[in-house]
Amino acid sequence: MNREIAVGLLYSTTGAYNLIGQDCLDGALMAMDEINANSRYAFNFTPKIANPGGNINEYQRLTEKLLREEDCQQIIGTVTSISRKEVTPIIEKHDGLLWYTAPYEGFECCENIIYTGACPNQHIVPMFKQVIPEFGKKVYLTGTNYVWGWEVNRIARELITSCGGEVTGENYLPFHSTDVERMIETIRETRPSFILNNLIDSSSYALYRAFYSAGKTDDFFRPENCPIISCNITECELEKIGYDAAEGHLSISPYFENLNTTENLNFLKKVYKKRSKEKPVSAFFVNGYATTYYLAEAIKDAQTDNIEAVKKELFNRKFQTPLGETEISEKTLHTALPYYIGRIKSRDGFEILPSRPQAITADPYLVNFESSLFAKTVNNFDSASSSIEASHLKVVK
Amino acid sequence: MSAFRTPNFRGYKATILHRHDDNIRRLERHLDRLGVESTVIWPDFKIDDTPPDVIFFDGDNGYDGLFPWAKGCPPVPLIALISSEAPGRLEWMLSQETSAHLIKPIQSSGVFSTLVIACANYEKRQEQLIRIDTLEKRISSRPVVFRALLLIMECGHLQDEAAFAILRSAAMNNRQSIEDFASTLSHSQAVSLINDFSADKGMA
Repeated sequence: MNREIAVGLLYSTTGAYNLIGQDCLDGALMAMDEINANSRYAFNFTPKIANPGGNINEYQRLTEKLLREEDCQQIIGTVTSISRKEVTPIIEKHDGLLWYTAPYEGFECCENIIYTGACPNQHIVPMFKQVIPEFGKKVYLTGTNYVWGWEVNRIARELITSCGGEVTGENYLPFHSTDVERMIETIRETRPSFILNNLIDSSSYALYRAFYSAGKTDDFFRPENCPIISCNITECELEKIGYDAAEGHLSISPYFENLNTTENLNFLKKVYKKRSKEKPVSAFFVNGYATTYYLAEAIKDAQTDNIEAVKKELFNRKFQTPLGETEISEKTLHTALPYYIGRIKSRDGFEILPSRPQAITADPYLVNFESSLFAKTVNNFDSASSSIEASHLKVVK
Repeated sequence: MSAFRTPNFRGYKATILHRHDDNIRRLERHLDRLGVESTVIWPDFKIDDTPPDVIFFDGDNGYDGLFPWAKGCPPVPLIALISSEAPGRLEWMLSQETSAHLIKPIQSSGVFSTLVIACANYEKRQEQLIRIDTLEKRISSRPVVFRALLLIMECGHLQDEAAFAILRSAAMNNRQSIEDFASTLSHSQAVSLINDFSADKGMA
């Protein structure tokens, strides 16, 4: 009989940002089902699901429980940076391993965490490189009052000022607030070229809807004139935003369901067999799935789930995933990921714009980032340079 | 609001004055992630022609004479690595003009922020020292300025404000500070300044 290996799945599937938590969990569970049914793996994963319900005070208790009482050495989980920071000391105390699958603001390399989501050089930097030449150098920054919004907006400010642009306004909302009217008025007065949305959950949905309403009487509020751009909006939130309100706005992600690659098409075939085709597949789902496979492959080769042995097997190898080929860096513990920029196309998910299908190495501290080089790229962006870039880009319609 | 530039330590060189152990290996790994090249030395530390950009040192075992410079005058930011919080140890670390500290065991979080804080503190401290030096020089020159002022007042039978205006404008014309100009002002020079001043006034 196969050995049972308990793996914690710590996601809020109720409460705020539950849609994201549910997708991460579903992706991990689908991978576990496949792995448990596959004789290549001489072990079975036993998922230990813990739901903090979006309550920040629950994360530490549940992490302790998973590590101490449920025999988990590995936990796949947490979406927000606040919750990751909550569980980190507990993970370190028990010398466990946290697999963090969400995009985040960077500036972290904890040796008890494997980071499989994108960090700033894989989201905000390429997003701005693409958007500034197309829409202009005036940005309005907004976010929910916590580190994700603050830091991504700070990087955005550095990027925009480095190329001679300006921030027309910067406003934050407390968690769960839908009071976006003042933002709409500031946007109306200051007429930015585009809006960077780092709001989360209901606040974010309210912004798209208020923007859409304003667009009914003022053409400025139309995505072709002034798009809302995001580094974490995926297919799983489009219905909640409202397809009409989301239409035309932009997001950057290592994965979109409409990716026309063999890996993805094969993957989707498997997904559609298990659940309705109506339910969209997001980067959160796929990254939960891919991350579970990283863990399974490492355990298979290490022949143990001891974290040092698992880590040793994780690095210096390539993984074939629905996202394409990925690799986890021994130095930074972060994952090399591709990026795609997508335009929301109503119920059809994202139309994929020129992107970078080859994975880029994560640079969580932006050590290799040069703002002067960024400015040069953005300011010299003309048809010649874009066609050079486009030559190795894959445009999928 | 101006943009806070992302602190970047790529290409920095760090010296770690500490015996080599797991803690230090963790610190080395993390410095490597930040683009910092580190060298571990304990205890014989000599500073050659190219000093490092930052020094981490063992706060628990550091002693007078560990650093090859006058006490409290480090040429680069110092970061103490501490586990002992004994007041005597803290007193010693403070006397070395430590810019920041990291608690042992070293964790992968904390190194970046400590580097940022240490470098900012050190830079601010250096600016303050330069400013203090300038102000001290100015204070010590006060009697010289006062003497020059009196000389002009007496020679020209002038009030203090008019005398000071002459002194300041003469210093400016000579591209000197008031203090430097005052220190070389002779009686005959003062008379000639007053004459020029009166002639200008007469013409006006």
